[in-house]
Amino acid sequence: MLFRLEKRREPSQLMRYLTPVAAVVLTMVVGAIIFSLIGYDGIGAVREIFLTPLTNSYKWQDLGVKAAPLIIIGVGLSIAYRANVWNIGAEGQYVVGGLAGTWVALATHGLNGPWILPLMVLAGVLGGMAYAAIPALLRTRLNVNEILTSLMLTYASVQLIYYLIRAPWKDPMGMGFPQTRLFAEAARLPTILPGTIVHLGVPIAVLVALVAWFIMSRSVFGYQMRVVGTAPHAARYGGFSENKTIWLAMLVSGGLAGLAGVLEVAGPFQRMVPGFPTNYGFTAIIVAFLGRLNPLGVIFAGLVMAITFVGGEVAQTTIGLPNAATGIFQAMVLFFLLGGDLLVRYRVRRVHGAAAPGTA
Amino acid sequence: MDASMPLRLQLTGITKQFPGVLANDNISFGVKPGEIHALLGENGAGKSTLVKMIYGIMQPDAGEIRWNGEPVVITNPKAARKLGIGMVFQHFSLFEALTVLENIALGMDGSLKSRELEARIREVMHTYGLLLDPHRTVATLSVGERQRIEIVRALLLDPKLLIMDEPTSVLTPQEVEQLFEVLRKLAAQGCSILYISHKLDEIKALCDTATILRGGKLVDTCDPKQETSRSMAEKMIGTGLRDIVRAKGRQLGAPKLVVSRLSTHKTGHFDVPVNDVSFTVRAGEIFGIAGVAGNGQNALLDALSGEILGDDKEAITLDGYPLGLLNTTGRRKRGLCAVPEERNGHAAVGEFSLADNSVLTARDRLGMVMLGLINSGAAKTYTGKVIADFAVKALGPGSMAGSLSGGNLQKYIMGREILQRPSVLVVSQPTWGVDAGAAAAIHQALVDLAAEGSAIVVISQDLDELLALCDTLAVINLGRLSAARPVGEVSVEEIGLLMGGVHGATEASNAVPA
Amino acid sequence: MEIIIPIIVTLVFAATPILLAALGELVVEKSGVLNLGVEGMMLVGAIAGFAGQFYTGNPYFALLCGAMAGAATSIIFGFLTLSLSANQTATGLALTIFGTGFSALAGAPFSARPIQLMGPLFPAELASHPVLRVVFGYSAPVYFSFFMVFAVWYFLEKTRPGLILRAVGENDLSAHSIGYSVKLVRYLAVLFGGAMAGIAGACFPLLLTPQWAERMTAGRGWIAVALVVFASWRPFRLLGGAYLFGLVMTMELYAKAGGGPLSAIPSELWAALPYLATIIVLVLISIRRDASTNAPACLGKPFLPTN
Repeated sequence: MLFRLEKRREPSQLMRYLTPVAAVVLTMVVGAIIFSLIGYDGIGAVREIFLTPLTNSYKWQDLGVKAAPLIIIGVGLSIAYRANVWNIGAEGQYVVGGLAGTWVALATHGLNGPWILPLMVLAGVLGGMAYAAIPALLRTRLNVNEILTSLMLTYASVQLIYYLIRAPWKDPMGMGFPQTRLFAEAARLPTILPGTIVHLGVPIAVLVALVAWFIMSRSVFGYQMRVVGTAPHAARYGGFSENKTIWLAMLVSGGLAGLAGVLEVAGPFQRMVPGFPTNYGFTAIIVAFLGRLNPLGVIFAGLVMAITFVGGEVAQTTIGLPNAATGIFQAMVLFFLLGGDLLVRYRVRRVHGAAAPGTA
Repeated sequence: MDASMPLRLQLTGITKQFPGVLANDNISFGVKPGEIHALLGENGAGKSTLVKMIYGIMQPDAGEIRWNGEPVVITNPKAARKLGIGMVFQHFSLFEALTVLENIALGMDGSLKSRELEARIREVMHTYGLLLDPHRTVATLSVGERQRIEIVRALLLDPKLLIMDEPTSVLTPQEVEQLFEVLRKLAAQGCSILYISHKLDEIKALCDTATILRGGKLVDTCDPKQETSRSMAEKMIGTGLRDIVRAKGRQLGAPKLVVSRLSTHKTGHFDVPVNDVSFTVRAGEIFGIAGVAGNGQNALLDALSGEILGDDKEAITLDGYPLGLLNTTGRRKRGLCAVPEERNGHAAVGEFSLADNSVLTARDRLGMVMLGLINSGAAKTYTGKVIADFAVKALGPGSMAGSLSGGNLQKYIMGREILQRPSVLVVSQPTWGVDAGAAAAIHQALVDLAAEGSAIVVISQDLDELLALCDTLAVINLGRLSAARPVGEVSVEEIGLLMGGVHGATEASNAVPA
Repeated sequence: MEIIIPIIVTLVFAATPILLAALGELVVEKSGVLNLGVEGMMLVGAIAGFAGQFYTGNPYFALLCGAMAGAATSIIFGFLTLSLSANQTATGLALTIFGTGFSALAGAPFSARPIQLMGPLFPAELASHPVLRVVFGYSAPVYFSFFMVFAVWYFLEKTRPGLILRAVGENDLSAHSIGYSVKLVRYLAVLFGGAMAGIAGACFPLLLTPQWAERMTAGRGWIAVALVVFASWRPFRLLGGAYLFGLVMTMELYAKAGGGPLSAIPSELWAALPYLATIIVLVLISIRRDASTNAPACLGKPFLPTN
């Protein structure tokens, strides 16, 4: 053994913020090598996935639009994970939020007024919350693991879309396609830059992250989330109820996922289609971790993941890299990040001479 | 013993360095065959590190270990057992969900058939009077019974050296006597015993030789029977002990904390609930609760602090105000603060800064919250005051609680609660694992708080501490509290019997002392 | 009889991958490790099994490919959580994301290219007999799963390595202090879990639908994880649980095939039923309350010896 791990007296703050960056860089390097080994143009793949979306200004609006839902969901998840509440069903809450918004849009079809969009957003948030309330209820009342329940509900939510757009919500003029009608103008999210696809959801995402950052770092609510997640016993001693915290964490993360869902259906989609679940809810898990469960970090992490989405599409057309490659790059980022966490708690020391037993 | 025989164990120049601490500095001593050899020292003196190296859990950075005269390198516990070294740990390395037999089988290196193993276990148990049912699940056993498993496990290997790490800290005085019988029997058969303790009277009663460690260095190797407790204590602690200073002729005030018929529900499998406990603590009084670990102390503390809520609001009153249905925050606002036994993860969050830890319990009493937002400046200022007043060795309010040593963290926690000037303070094991200097400071702070008119409840397993500190004493056993007695009027024997559950003289255990 | 026997045969086939994956996860969890990457390992096993069958046509070799691929994938998890003490929950999720992406990438060239299903183990006279096929009508992995239920039980309860594995899951620090290598035991358990998940994944193209489809395991890995909880970490209860799910999934197949009272319910509800049933099952077991008492005490916690 040439190296030895030594526990740090205090976790390294430098490493905490350096490891996400290192994880992305390592992913690019290792990704290039692996993809070259399996017969693709590895360097080209990394270039197209990670750099082209940044150098091509035409792709920037794409980035913003893809980052917005990732950031909104990621912020919610970062709050829940801080509280040690493992909501991994954000995708399902996103879907139900989108469906709730769709319901309002369809019910108000033919009406007009500036109240329709806010009502849709409200319905989306409530829908996401309601769907997250099921795991919260089961966890707090019956101690049923929220990881499994929230995930199972995600699979079920996809079937709910299929059912609704196949039967009751089907567009009568849709030539048999399973989808709803196009939303009326009043139910569509306005773009904020004329001539682009950048919609109102993008500034909302940034605002959500900023507000969440302030609340998490300064308020008793944020303190409660952190202390319950870190040391539940101490939290109880400090007067914080674990069940209340679980509820809050689930509702906040579910509500934000629902918000992302309704913004997505009212923005880019403008109707409910079978392809509405686009994995944002799962990718946001990576976003939350890569952002170090810090809402400001989530903004950057959301952008990085958006880059890989946009870049993945670029690479598909330019060098014929299958779309699935994006998922591998995203998983690799998370692998490197989780492995790198060790450096936050330990330092690597060179050991001279005889082999000494390591700490690990 | 024959003087020409080689030493069973000889250590020469053993040194072990940890980050920031020299845990063992050039330690040398020897253990003869059949000798009961005490390893004496304060918490943190380096005893545990030293025996971990003898048992192969750690490797020394320098020095030599000789076994029966031969130099050996003990790379792991398996190698230690092969040599004939057995160890009984302070914190038992038992598997709760497994049976006694399975637990013992795991400690055996050979692949003995379970029926043969059971026969051997019964034989050892019979020889030494260590009775246990091999098929019971460990989770259902008492602490004393669990220790017996560890001893049987060690004895099955026919050890030539048995290491006992603080074996009596969890036992009643009667159980201690039974243990000593076993150890003497073993030594008479030629097994050496390395007996780690910081309890001087035990060492005088049991051991042939004592090696005293202080701050990682060997201070002396002596015959404890030739020494007085005082002389050994001074070698162990270094400086003379500081006595607790109390005002003369104190008068206890009106009843402040009144607990009447307090009970809790059983929450976990290994949890002893509080059963119909009543007592009164007056202003200025320090009320001690003695008892062997695991007799409902944790449940009592949680019920008093508000972590466990009962259903009778009158079960706990402070100055006549019912607290029974308030949670910890509500009780703190009324003036009742508490310090649980477990520091890291319960009384404090190791991953948080000290300032953030102050927010945990002091936020309401000291106005650290406005409109749902935390005033971190106020938290830092208060934390700085705690650090200064209680001489906490920390870089500042921004230090992580987990980076502090056990004693310093305890000083911070005690300071955090005491400086809130609670009218009732409930503390559990206030000086557990704390060095003598810090313990004295904590004791003095408690006495001073009482002198200002607060009522204090101290739950401790350390009888000496309670006898030195308290005005009144009661004993908790299986969740029931004995009648309270003034400290001057009660003998150690009596307390020992109460701790062991012998309730001969205390039928009226629910009586509230006058 | 004519209705019952095909139903039983279908449900046994449908339940087998879940049972195999759950048996692997049970051993992993008994050692104190929570690997939530079962779904990912199954997908990697599925594509490896598919490729093995596609190129060689030897289903046993294909199953071996699945086992090796699943085990290889589990090494990533083992390295991160055991050697680098990374968070097990997060790493398991990452493994599933990785497995999904990897299998999709590796499987892209194989889409719409059918393979041969694995044939029954017994001769056709028995395997196709209208009644006896309820016993003899299955292919080898089904019988392997029966055997493994017994083998896992015997290993855990009756052998010394099994005892050590349980001890490591019960109290890792104690096991370490006695001198057992916690990491080695857990690595082996994780590898076994990966191999079993890989075989389970390979069963999808070999036993159920003879082609490659992205995400073809459709959450069955997660159901396997839930089943372990449902079974209170007891192998024989796992058998019952898996067949319960087999029944639910068989009903879905019959409903989709049309006709009868089953098709009155929307097909989407049938498709959602296994997932909803998982939730119901978890609720039922938590009401019974004895479930958690059998959970390994160290489950999901990183092993961090103090010295």
